[in-house]
Order: sequence, then C-alpha cells, then structure tokens
Amino acid sequence: MRIMIVDDHPMWRDAVGRDLTEAGFEVVATVGEGAQALRIASSVRPNVVVLDLQLPDMSGVEVTRGLVAADSGIRVLILSASGEHRDVLDAVKAGAAGYIVKSASRAELLDAVRRTDSGDAVFSPGLAGLVLGEFRRLAVSPDPDTPRLTDREAEILRMVGTGLSYKQIAERLVLSHRTVQNHVQNTLNKLQLHNRVDLVRYAIEHGLDSGPN
Amino acid sequence: MPPHIVRPQGRPAQLILPAPTNLQAPLWRSIAAFRFASLAYAAILLAVRPSYYAHWGWAWAVLAVMAAWTVATTFLYSVPARRTWLLLGTDLLVTLAALLSTALVQHPDDVKLGVMPVTATWLAGPALAWAVVAGVRAGAISAIITGTCVVLLRHLRAGDILSSTDLDGPVILLMAGMIAGYISNLTTSAEQAFARATEVEATSRERERLARTIHDSVLQVLAMVQRRGAEIGGQAAEIGRLAGEQELALRALITADNLPPPEGELDLSAQLARDARAFVSVITPATPVLLNEKTVWETAAAVREATDNVRKHCGDTAKAWVLVDDEGTEVTVTIRDDGQGMPATRLAEAAAEGRLGVSHAIAGRMRDIGGSAEISSTPGAGTEVRLRVPRSGQAA
Repeated sequence: MRIMIVDDHPMWRDAVGRDLTEAGFEVVATVGEGAQALRIASSVRPNVVVLDLQLPDMSGVEVTRGLVAADSGIRVLILSASGEHRDVLDAVKAGAAGYIVKSASRAELLDAVRRTDSGDAVFSPGLAGLVLGEFRRLAVSPDPDTPRLTDREAEILRMVGTGLSYKQIAERLVLSHRTVQNHVQNTLNKLQLHNRVDLVRYAIEHGLDSGPN
Repeated sequence: MPPHIVRPQGRPAQLILPAPTNLQAPLWRSIAAFRFASLAYAAILLAVRPSYYAHWGWAWAVLAVMAAWTVATTFLYSVPARRTWLLLGTDLLVTLAALLSTALVQHPDDVKLGVMPVTATWLAGPALAWAVVAGVRAGAISAIITGTCVVLLRHLRAGDILSSTDLDGPVILLMAGMIAGYISNLTTSAEQAFARATEVEATSRERERLARTIHDSVLQVLAMVQRRGAEIGGQAAEIGRLAGEQELALRALITADNLPPPEGELDLSAQLARDARAFVSVITPATPVLLNEKTVWETAAAVREATDNVRKHCGDTAKAWVLVDDEGTEVTVTIRDDGQGMPATRLAEAAAEGRLGVSHAIAGRMRDIGGSAEISSTPGAGTEVRLRVPRSGQAA
C-alpha cells in the first residue's frame, strides 16, 4: 500500500511516517504543503493520502478536492488536530473518505489507514455527528434533490456517534457487519454526490461550463 | 520528541489599510464651481450695466484679474499640501483688492445706492476656503473681514448711516463661512473615525489569524503528548491524560470564539464541549444548536450528572460519548458509556427500590423544561441515557 503524508508539522510527519513504516506500509512521500502534494500526487501515485487540514498554503478542503479530481482512486484520510467542524465536514463532502483526530492512538491510526485503503468510510463518532447534523440541516430544504437519510441510516449514524463499533451495531440491529458498513458508506456517498451536483449547478449558473470561446 | 517551535503559518502579516477616503475633495470642487459661477455672474452684471461704471474698461481689467485668480486657486487648492496660510492670506488679499477697486471704477452714486460691487458674489471664495481648511472660527473671521470691507466701501464714500439691507450680504457671508466650517469639521472627524475603525478591524483580523495558528500549534503538541503518553504508559500516561484535558478545553474555547448567540439563547454544543472532561467525547453537528438559556443550563446539568454517574459506577477506564442530534422540533442528547451495562430487569428492580437517585434528578430537570429522559442498558454494551429536549423550551 502506497501512502502519502501531508502535514506541515515535522513532528507529526515523522511520527505518523514512522508508525506507518513500522507497520509495514510504504510511505512514498511526506510533504508539508498542499500545492506540493497536488503536484507530486500524479507521479508518486499513492493509494491513501493522510492529510492534515491546517496547511500553510491552501486549505485541506481544496487539497482534498484537487486530489480526488485528479485521480478518483486516491483515498483521503483526514488527520487533524484542531479540526474546525465546518472544515472537516467540507473536506468529507469534497471527497475525503474518513476523519480521525490526532490524539487517536497508534492502533486507531493504523486501523483507519487500513480501512481507508480497503474502501471503507472511516467514521469516527465525531464524523458521524457531523454527517448526521448536515443531513438534519438539509432536511428543512424544500428542494426535492436534497439528500435524505432513511430511518435505518439515521439510527446507525446515531449509534456510531455514541461510540458503538460496527460490530456492536450489527449485533444490536441483527444485521451483518457488511450491511452496517454499507449504510454508513451510503450516507457519505449521498453527501458527496449532492456536493458534486451543487458544484455542477453552480458552474452552469455562472456560465463556467461553456468552455473556451 | 524534538522541541517544537511555534511558527506562524501562511503569508506574513499584511496590514492593508485602504487609503483614507478624502471626504474634503467634494468641498473643494464645490468651492471652485462656486468661484467660476460667481465670476460668470460678475461678468454678466458688468456687461449689461456699463452705465454704473465710471471706468468700464478698468472694471473689465479687474474682472480679468479675478478670472486669473479663480483659475489659480482652483489649481492651488486642489493639492492638500498647498492649502497653507500663505495661500489663504493671499486669497483674501486678492479678493479684498478686487472688492475695494469698486470704489475706483464704479460711479460713487451707484456705490451709495447699493449696486453690486465689481466682485459681486465672487467675494465669498476666501471665507469658504478658510472655513474648509481651518474650521468654523477661521471661516467666520474671513467672512467678517470681507463683510467689513463691503460695509466700509459703501459708507466711506457715501457717508450714510447703516441701513439693515446693507448688512444682509455680510451676514449671509458670515453664515456661509460658519456652515462651511462646520461641514469641514464633520468631514474631518468622520475621516478620522473611519481610519481608526479600519485600523482596528485590520489589527483584530491579524490577531485572529495569529491566534488560529498558535492554537493549532498548541493543539498539535497536546495531541502528540497525549498520544505518546498513552503509548509509553505509567506516569507518562498521566501526563498524556492531562494534555488531553487541556486539548479539550482549548478546543472548546476556540469553538466558543464564533459569533455570540442571539440574546437569551445559547449554543448547547458549545456548552457541552466546555463542560466535558477527558473521558467524555462530545459529538455535535457543525452548526450551532441554539436553545433558550434555561433549557441549555438544565440540559448541560443533566448531562453532567449522567457523566458523573459513569465515572462513579464504571470506574476510571470507562469512556463516555455525548451525541447532540438536532432534529428540528426537538433536540436529542444521548449519553452512552462503554461500561458493563446491566440487564433490563435489574434496571426495573433498581427503579422499584428507589435506587435510581441520579436518573430521578435527571428526569426532574428534563421535565422542568418540558422534555423527558429515558434510560436503557444492554449487558456488555454500556448504559444509555437519552434526553429529549423540546425546541420551544416551554413546559408541555
């Protein structure tokens, strides 16, 4: 598995790099700036990008959008310290596959990277709360295209938000682990799709789609 | 761990102040326009009434000087640095000279009858200029000097007693000078206030940017201490735990830095984040959850009692999560711990024996604000307290 680390704090670049290397992952690049990350992503071709949201030159949200736009196979895991709620939510909507806080343990980090690589959404309780909140906020919109949560999805997000593992949730709801995971992934997909549709609509309204002429 | 230095991130501080808006410029343009218009008026008077003048040709010469001076002042006053007392004094002298030349070029009888002097209204220029440069008092002084000359011009030659109509012109001139001075004072203080406000805004924006950077750096270090402490264990773990608490406190503080909630309301999320201790994760939406103050106080107190209870019954290793779910008409707050939990039957027993003191207290608080509390437990998956908080905050 090829991993790129984007963090402007050398302390964290080293620590995360060391943990991942020791665990047997291949760290193909560690960079301190967003623009640099976007520039070299196409040549180092990482599977997973571990990204800090606070970067000196551009926002983590922009970096996420740029990385995913250039290669939809890249999976972005947000690793953030201050993690302004709005920024985390925007990064996830822009295509990040998951979010964990920096104070998470080494085991949690390794697990998150593994799951991100295998295509799972890494939902910390915090992210579940943000996604749930975003759907609640959208719920009042009269627009029929607004994504809605099914009752089951809301129930599962609430469980993730109170710290239950997928396994515990599966047991409680008598579902398979995979089904729980799919429900969670689904909520994220809906938000990301809605975000893309919004961007396209914005582009059309502002005449950005007409091309060069 | 290498010593970590807080480095300001991003571009260096840039205090861009907009150039002070020149509110006085329109005043100067008005004065210039006034001089040209008055000049034209004086020329018309001169052209249509040659019979008033003993030396009509010389009167035209005076008018030519006035024209030249109008062009000169328009040019000179346009640059702030040139608006000196030398220019103002010269302006007044030139104008007075033109005014007093009336005594030489006009018929004495016509002067006595109150015919306009050769300068006509053009003589008000210096009074306005003085007022705009130096304020009300200067405008008044210039107007009084000019006005005195007007009166002298008429009465030195004619030797009449002052009639009230003779004073009309000078009085209007005095008023014009004082009003122009007042407006000038206003624009000056407005400009200063504007410049100060802009400066304050730029400074606080810069301070905010720095604070964000520093906060982030501190959070990075605290998170690292916490993480490494937990890995090393023993006393280091204790240090890590303390770092974790500070991280939480600082994060709550930063979150609270956002816009203050409207009068009488509070953000439940921010309140819970402030209250939280290290073993509690507070999970909230990105947007504030605004409720009336009493509702927020009571809910926060209930959450605190529930988490205290977790500490008491589940030991030091237990963790708890507080989830805030804003469903619109009501807000649900769920407190779950990862303790042993208990079978539903035991919960019922405890309730029957009146041993659920804390949950009674919690339920009481929720009833006070028109909500409810519900407790459930699964063996092996902890205990869950669910608070329903109505949006209106009124008792049902």
